[in-house]
Formats: sequence, C-alpha cells, structure tokens
Amino acid sequence: MRVFALALVLVVAATMVIGIAGLPPHGDPDGPVHTHVGARYLEQGVAETGLRNLVTAVLLVYRGFDTFLEVVVIFTALVAVLALPSATRQPPPSRDESAAASRRDTDDAVPVSPVVFLVVRLLAPFIAVFALASLYRGHVTPGGGFQSAAIIGAMMIALGLVFGREHAARLVPHGAKAWLQALGPLVFAVVALVGWRLTGAFLGFPADEAAHALREALVVILEVAIAVGGAVILAQLFMALDAPS
Amino acid sequence: MTTLGPTLLPWLVALPLAGAALVPIVARRDARWAGGFTLVVALVTTSLASVLVAQLASQGPFSADLGGWAAPYGIELHFDRFAAWTMPLAALFAFVIPFSWRYLDATLPRERWAPFYALMLLNLGGLLGFSVTGDLFNLFVTMEVVSLSSYALVAVAGRGVAAWAALKYLLLGAVSSLLVLFAVGLLFALTGSLNLADVSVRLAAAEPSGAALLALASLAVAFLVKAALFPLHVWLPDAHAIAPSPVSAVLSGLVVKVGIVGLLRVLQLAAGTGISLEPLNTVLMVLGATAIVMGAFLAIFQDDIKLMLAYSTISNIGYIVLGIGLASPFALIGAFVHVFNHGLIKVTLFLAAGAIIHQTGYRTLSDLRGVARRMPQTAAAMAIGAVSIVGLPPTAGFVCKWYIALGAFEADQGGYGFALVFGALFIFVYYVRMLDAFFFRSPVRPEVADAVEAPWSMRAPVLVLAAACLVLGVLGGIPIGFVEPAVVDLLAALGR
Amino acid sequence: MTLVGLDLDYVACVVLFCVGLYMLVAKSNLIKKVLGLNVMETAVFAFIVTSGMIDGGQEPIVVAGSAPPYTSPIPHAMVLTGIVVAVSVTAVALALIAQIHAHYGTIEVDELKELP
Repeated sequence: MRVFALALVLVVAATMVIGIAGLPPHGDPDGPVHTHVGARYLEQGVAETGLRNLVTAVLLVYRGFDTFLEVVVIFTALVAVLALPSATRQPPPSRDESAAASRRDTDDAVPVSPVVFLVVRLLAPFIAVFALASLYRGHVTPGGGFQSAAIIGAMMIALGLVFGREHAARLVPHGAKAWLQALGPLVFAVVALVGWRLTGAFLGFPADEAAHALREALVVILEVAIAVGGAVILAQLFMALDAPS
Repeated sequence: MTTLGPTLLPWLVALPLAGAALVPIVARRDARWAGGFTLVVALVTTSLASVLVAQLASQGPFSADLGGWAAPYGIELHFDRFAAWTMPLAALFAFVIPFSWRYLDATLPRERWAPFYALMLLNLGGLLGFSVTGDLFNLFVTMEVVSLSSYALVAVAGRGVAAWAALKYLLLGAVSSLLVLFAVGLLFALTGSLNLADVSVRLAAAEPSGAALLALASLAVAFLVKAALFPLHVWLPDAHAIAPSPVSAVLSGLVVKVGIVGLLRVLQLAAGTGISLEPLNTVLMVLGATAIVMGAFLAIFQDDIKLMLAYSTISNIGYIVLGIGLASPFALIGAFVHVFNHGLIKVTLFLAAGAIIHQTGYRTLSDLRGVARRMPQTAAAMAIGAVSIVGLPPTAGFVCKWYIALGAFEADQGGYGFALVFGALFIFVYYVRMLDAFFFRSPVRPEVADAVEAPWSMRAPVLVLAAACLVLGVLGGIPIGFVEPAVVDLLAALGR
Repeated sequence: MTLVGLDLDYVACVVLFCVGLYMLVAKSNLIKKVLGLNVMETAVFAFIVTSGMIDGGQEPIVVAGSAPPYTSPIPHAMVLTGIVVAVSVTAVALALIAQIHAHYGTIEVDELKELP
C-alpha cells in the first residue's frame, strides 16, 4: 500500500505541477483575478452594498446564495450526525436530576489539571465577548458571522470537555434547540423572501439610498443568524457524537 | 408572465432546503408528522418544477440572476432543456417519501425519523441546485450538500457495516469533491470569474494552457468518481446495497447522475476553447463499454438482490458514459434520456425489492424463491422493471439503449455496438434468474410462503412507477424529441 | 517568487496536497486518513487564497487609511465557504468512525479488512 501511495502521490504531484506552470503568476495586478469580477467588487463594492468589508459584501450581497448553501451544508452535517446511531440522545436536564447530573458531569468530563479547569472557566466569558466583538465589527475589520460561530462553538466545546457534556449542553436551551439549529437556513430563506418582495430578486437587497438602513439591518440579521446558528450547530455536533465506551 | 420562470427558479432550490430545516421543528410534537410534511414539501417542489418546465416549453431557456446582480458579478441559475430533468427528479422523490413511512417504522427508531426526512429533502435540494446552477463554485457547494446527505443516508439504518461502507464512500467522494474545488480554483486563477459561461468564453479567448487542461481533467475525474464509472466504481456496490431501500433507490437512480450532469458541464465548459475532447471521448467510450459488460457480468453472480441492482447501476452508467463518449447525435440523445429513464426504472426496482425485503425479511434470490405467488403485484412491478432495464420494447429502457446503439454505428464505432449487445445479453441472464426465482420456483422459506403484499403506502408508489415504465416506453418519443434540440446545440458548440 | 519558471507558492500548495494524499492513502488508522483529507483540503484553500494575492496589497476592507491595491475578496469568500464544507465532512466522517468503532472495536483498516 505504501508503494502504491508513493507512486500515486508522485504522479499526482507531477501532473499538478505541470498544470500549475500554466497559471499566470499570482500577485500580478494585471492578472485576470484582479482585473475582472474582483475589480468591480473593489471599485464599487462599498457604494453598491454599503459594506466596507468587501469579503462580507461578496459573501452576503453579491454571492449570498452560496452563503445560504453554506449554512445548509453545516446544517446537513448536524442532521447527518443526529441521524446516525452513534449520536447519543441526551435527555433534557430536569431540576430534580441536577444532583445526579452533577455527578455524571465529572464522570463524563476529561480529567484535566486544576490549571486548565480554572483557565477555561475564567477565559470563557472573554472568549464569548471577543466573538461578539468580531461579529459586531465584522463589517469594518476582518470578522463576521462564521468567525464568531467558530469561536463560540469552540468555547462551548472546551467547556464541554472540561465540565462534562451535560453541563455544557445546558448552554443551549433545550426547548429552543431545534429552532436555533435551523436558524441559518431559515433566516436566509426569510431574508431572501423579503428581498424578493422588495426588489423582485431572490436575496436581493434594496439598492436606493433611502433603504440604506434596511439594507444594513438585513445584513446584520444574516450575520447574527449565521453566528448563532453556526455556534449551536458546532456545539451540538460535539455533544451528539458518541462517547467512547 | 415572461418573468415567471426566472422569479420562481431560485425557489426550486430554496424550498426543499428550507423545508429540511423545518423538519426537526415539525417533528417535535410527533415524529410521524415529519414524513407527511416531507411529502408536502416534495410535492410542492415537483409542482414548482413542472411550472418551470412549462415555462421552458413555451418560452425557451431562461436564467435567474440571484440578488439582482447580472452574471458574472452574481450567481446565475440557468434552466434549459437539460435542466428539465429536475421535474421527474422531484417527482421520483415524491414517490420515495411515502414508501419510506412504513419502511422506517420497521428499520429506524422514532427519534431518528426527523433527521432522515431532513436528509432526504437536503439531498433533493442539493440535486436540484446542482442541476440548475450556472456558477462553478455553486456547483461545488450543491454537490457537497448532495454528497454529505448521501453519506449519512447510507449509514442511517445500519450498524458498523453500513458505517464502514459509508465511510469508504465518503473518503473517495471527499477526494473527488476536492478535485472539483481545485479545478474551480484553477479556473478562477485563469479567468478571474466563476460563471460557467463566462469562464468558457474567457478560456476560448486566452492562449491554450496546461492549467486549463488540468482543471478540465480534474473535473472529469471527479465527476466520473461520482458517477461510479469503472474503475472508480468500487464504492458503489456496498454503499447502495447496504443502504435502506428508499435510500438505495435515490442513490442509484438519482444521486449517481450528479456525475453525468457534471460531465455535461465539463463539455459545456470545453466547448469553444479549442481543447480537443478526443482523448476524453476515447476514455469514456472504453471505460463505458467495460463498465457495461463488467457490471452486468458481475451482477449475474450476485445472490443478494440489492447487490445485483447495484451492479446493474454500474452497468447502466456505462451505457450513459459510452453514449457521451460517442458524441454523435443519436448517442447523446440516448444517453441523456437514459439518465432519466434509468432513474425511473432503478427507483421502481429498488422500491419493489425493498417492499419484498420488508415483507419477508430476506434479501437473496435463493431465499426469495416463489415470492411472486404471495406478492404478485410487487413481483409484477419488479418484472416490468427488469424488462425495462434489459431494454425490451415497449418499456422505458428500450428507446435509449436503441439510440445509443444507433449512435455507435452513426459514429463509425460499431465495435462498441457489440459491447452493448453483450451487456444486454448478460443483463438478460441475471434478470431471467431473478424472475425465474420469484415466479417459477416454490417457496423454501416459511416467511416467504406466508408473506402478504406490502401496505398501500409502500405498494402504491411501486405500482404507479412500474406503470410509468410502460407508459414511457410507449411514449418514448416525447423525451427524445424534448432533448434533441439541446443535444444539437451542444454538439454544434463542441464543433461537431 | 518563481524558481525555474514555477511559482513557488503554488508548488508549496501542491506539495502539501500530496502530503495529505499520502496520509489518506497510506495510513491505516481511519482518523489519520481523515486528517490527511483535512491536510488536502487546507492545501486547496491555500492555493485559492494565494491566487487572490496582489503585490503590495492589503486586505479588502475599505476604511480610512486604506488604499489600493487590495487583495481580491472572492478567494476569501470561497475559502470561508470551503472551510465550513470541510468541517461538515469531517464531522460526518468522525460520526461514522465512532459507529465503526462501536461495532468492530477497531479503527485500523488492516484489522477491519480481516474481519468477516
């Protein structure tokens, strides 16, 4: 198998290098990447979309359909994991079970040193604030919905590792779980509908100056939906995977 | 009214996807509602697709610019004659869903019904999106929606064995998806655009480069993996046989066609660029012919009916790919009509097999002897499906295989015509085996001897689909006539 | 930078891709295979982002004090979506591996092939 792998890798490498040689050198300002569609986005992006972070402009305004599909993909991953028998079914933690739950917490948690325990507890709120800041500032600095989702999701997973699955699972209110998971695709569909009614185009954004505030509001709504939905899905993916026997 | 098509087109994709997001919410009160809700969404989607096809028939192909941004500055969806297969695609899903209701009762614990139905809708939405998109990156993402839902659907009802088959499918599928992404990156670096038509025009205008060739080759290889063309078919038999029967129907009948539609996009990309497709065509012809014969030959030795049907899919993909490689009008028409016909026939066969397995608990020909006496309607449906796939008139399979054979002679490649004949002979042998076992032997298993027909929610879709196989055989000229102008245009663009 | 006419940054991506491909094919442990897949995905993302770079450029965020040339925003959007897709594939793969482990007790392909 090793020999086959090596041979395959060498063939693939050679083929790709030969193909790559035919590409225009990257970094050239006159290359096709910078003079065609990208140039239009850079020149008119701020005026047309009202967003200063042009990556967000591309993600949400110019190519919003791709981002809709992207939230659908991560939702698919969650549904896939929930559909498989390896997913554990966590019963909702009830009040009288809290004593038993706290016992189970420490059984389920990864044994870590007190230093790690303390640091995770201390840092978690700051991490959450950082994620919120990233979301809030995402239209003028690098940041945005997905980045926040990843940070909050990671925070929840770290808490789950250190405190035990059930304790961390309480961060996501059980009754709202199904709605929160679906938040990404559903909010996108609703915003698409709103855009359809206002501009006649699916996921269209009103273009005139007067609707500037509405446009910003729609963008913020989408970003928040991506962040919250994504974070809940990432945390759920972790919670749902089977514990090793 | 002229903007009805473009206005509705994005919703064809968005509706099943949003519906999938709602399924877990709908199922919170009662898991059984998930199945009904899914059927409603599938039916609405089918109606939407029908409206779009009607628009296409009366006003010609149309495009939708999403967000109002004209291509290539935005994502463009395109509805042409090839995209019209979205209507039968959605309709077939609508048949599979009610079949799943009772099937899941027996195979899946209640808390996993909602994710199952959500995955089915996601699969449908992804397939629809893949079929109508005119944007390269969109192609990649929709393909991933289809692939991810497929991987999970294979493993949903089984234990470790199903998970292992699904993981093999996943690893090979993820590599092929990566090849698509790499190709999209190459094409973007070459042309600065992600719109299929725009990229094609720009490639044609630029000097020929190795990078463009590498991109097209990567796409071709990736889609041939998805289509399970020999020798990249190894993931298919286990995955399709182990999956629950409604899933096998969708995978073999519909998902595997992603590779074919993808191959069509590669052809459309290459059109006008001056890059010669002869090497690709030769490869397709050789591998297609091999797949026809090999798939059919291996099917003969299978005792498990679902494995037999899976190898039959490999063989039929060979037919379609051979038709594309021949690149003559008859062959291409036959190939693209077979995309739909095979989908219909395979769904019929897998659902009928699923009904039999559900009622008797057995999957092998030796165990299922004599089942036709106890389940005559389902067995008759299976017989119709078998005759259709062998390609005898007046069934759906006949027209397309006939056209591909004519295409072989039209393209002076008569040798391949013989591959078709051999393939048909082998197919004939294994389906005769199956029909003999079902109809002309006495039952050996008590469960088979005492079996009863499947409940109506499972039986009705099977019977209606079997009838459709016959109807489409008689009315075979209609899809042929529908596809023909698109094929002529494609060939003209390819310079033939 | 270029060397013998080859764009070295692109070549680095190819090398990374091949390292990942080797891991995917040659390693017997299923988790290592998934890691190899992730390395391959990272390589393709690096390739795409590299193609959007521009000499002397900065990030495509138009605020006071920023000036062209900007790197192209399209590859960044592509890779953001690509990362989410990669995470999704990894999640499903891990769930399947968990299922395999629960059933077979092993996640080594060598051992899985021995089993009936």
